[in-house]
Amino acid sequence: MEKCTSKKKGVFNASVLANEQIGECFYRLSLAIEGQAAEAFNMTKPGQFAEFELSNASLPSEEKIPNELADKALRQIILRRPFSFSDIEITGNKGKLEVLYCVLGPATLRMKTLSPGDKISIIGPLGNGFSIEREKTLAILVAGGMGVPPLLHLAKELSKSKTKTIAFVGAKSGSQLPCSEIKNVQTLISTDDGSMGFKGFVTAMLKEWLVKEKPDVSKAIIYTCGPEIMMAGVAKIAGEFGIGCQVSLERVMACGTGLCQGCAVKCIDKKTKEAGYKLCCKDGPVFWADEVVF
Amino acid sequence: MNKVDLTIDFAGLKLKSPVFTASGTCGYADELDDFMDIGRLGGFITKSITIEKRDGNPVPRIVETNSGMLNAIGLANVGVEKFIAEKLPLLKNYKTPFFVNIAGKTIDEYIAVAEKLAQFEQIAGFELNISCPNVKKGGITFGTDPQLIHQITSAVKKAGGKKILITKLTPNVTDISITAKAAIEAGTDALSMINTFTAMVIDIETRKPVLANRTGGLSGPAIKPIAVYLVNKVYNEVAKSANVPILGGGGIRSTADAVEFLIAGATAVSIGTASFIYPDTAIKIIDGIEDYCRRHKIERVGDLTGSLK
Repeated sequence: MEKCTSKKKGVFNASVLANEQIGECFYRLSLAIEGQAAEAFNMTKPGQFAEFELSNASLPSEEKIPNELADKALRQIILRRPFSFSDIEITGNKGKLEVLYCVLGPATLRMKTLSPGDKISIIGPLGNGFSIEREKTLAILVAGGMGVPPLLHLAKELSKSKTKTIAFVGAKSGSQLPCSEIKNVQTLISTDDGSMGFKGFVTAMLKEWLVKEKPDVSKAIIYTCGPEIMMAGVAKIAGEFGIGCQVSLERVMACGTGLCQGCAVKCIDKKTKEAGYKLCCKDGPVFWADEVVF
Repeated sequence: MNKVDLTIDFAGLKLKSPVFTASGTCGYADELDDFMDIGRLGGFITKSITIEKRDGNPVPRIVETNSGMLNAIGLANVGVEKFIAEKLPLLKNYKTPFFVNIAGKTIDEYIAVAEKLAQFEQIAGFELNISCPNVKKGGITFGTDPQLIHQITSAVKKAGGKKILITKLTPNVTDISITAKAAIEAGTDALSMINTFTAMVIDIETRKPVLANRTGGLSGPAIKPIAVYLVNKVYNEVAKSANVPILGGGGIRSTADAVEFLIAGATAVSIGTASFIYPDTAIKIIDGIEDYCRRHKIERVGDLTGSLK
């Protein structure tokens, strides 16, 4: 997926516009960028990401740190953290980047305390995003939990074309979703506990729908982001039905820029049929499902 | 004073600044090109090259620790033939001396890589990786045994012809001056120190190591004071009297960190983990060292080396 790599990546300053809780588990951070940063992020594809420097953001005061994160709060972080975007708007030499995140560790605990006017350093745009297949008339989005954000961005891009889009969104429970529907898109929700929508895994809901609706698979494409085990399930279903599928993977990264070689993804070379490692940050994070060894 | 002389004499090579990028943290140069002017570096050390292509270790290969990180990449690299065909031609675009880091499982493998690369003018020298903690057989076993260090250093020096040879030392030994001495006696032109400390992080929920390789090499600010101490020790005990320069590094993030290494006895410094966070760290430190020298009325950066009182 080389076509959608942005060339003008760099280290940029971004200014916090807003940072607010949405729903029970998610927060939305909005950042303002300008000048060269706005230029660099102008062509950013959904699924591309940036590395955020959060080590100098402060921790919440002690009483605001949840018990289950008390130990993690004691970690001095040094590495940046990768985030993809739920939305990017660029107008002229100014732009807005939007990130949805959950507070899970020492970096996101710090991220939560950012307030309007704070400056943070970001490196981006990085990696290869979803490659929008214009000839496909049906786009099937499959998101799980924290995998929702880049698909919101993708849904917005798809809405600019004539592609019909349908979204399958799964989570453990209704309260763990960042939104109950994707704007302007037919959205089917599944929850493991049945608190909202279909009771069960999003993969089961997807399969049921494909069997029932029998879409023209030659005109359809699946874009997915979520837990790797879920995406492995989606990739398998896509294979069974003969639908092309792009997966957005996640790995622990030290740099995000191809320097550390830490974020290896086992892939099969389509020509040689040999297995080898690619890098999630440079070759991905979006891969064709049939090249990934899950 | 206006002008600070940032050039250094490094084992007979005149380098334009005392700052290198460290092996395994800067790729093969093209990855860093978007972020900085590579031509300003004193030297560039490539990721390790082995005779055959290596896929590297399974993931997780990385885990962050308090003020540091562990890596167990496992010398993932394209192999020497592909390096020559695809990466080497790109190096001509940069006006900085390139040092190729060489690794292997046997002495013969090291020799073979050095022999294949010795003919290329765009390579200034080699950094001998006898201290990678993440590869079974070889790597660190070479680096902890003075006799093996002697054998491998002299063999690669011979295979490399006129190329400068830098031997990279592991800190995972009882007395690093003994291994430094072995490398010097075998004819190394310079020492690079230190490689990472072997370390482990355990997931207490599963009671398994976090890294797939179980152990990894600790780098980052957490190791800096130990690295400064070891550079000073080797400088005082062996390197100064032998007139062998030290490329010092370990956890450098700032100008102050780099200057500490120079004062401790390093002729040049290498920037590693910090490049992951700010890819242009090395360039900022070159500028910072110049400011420091001006402030302290030091005309030549080389005068800082070993100036510890």
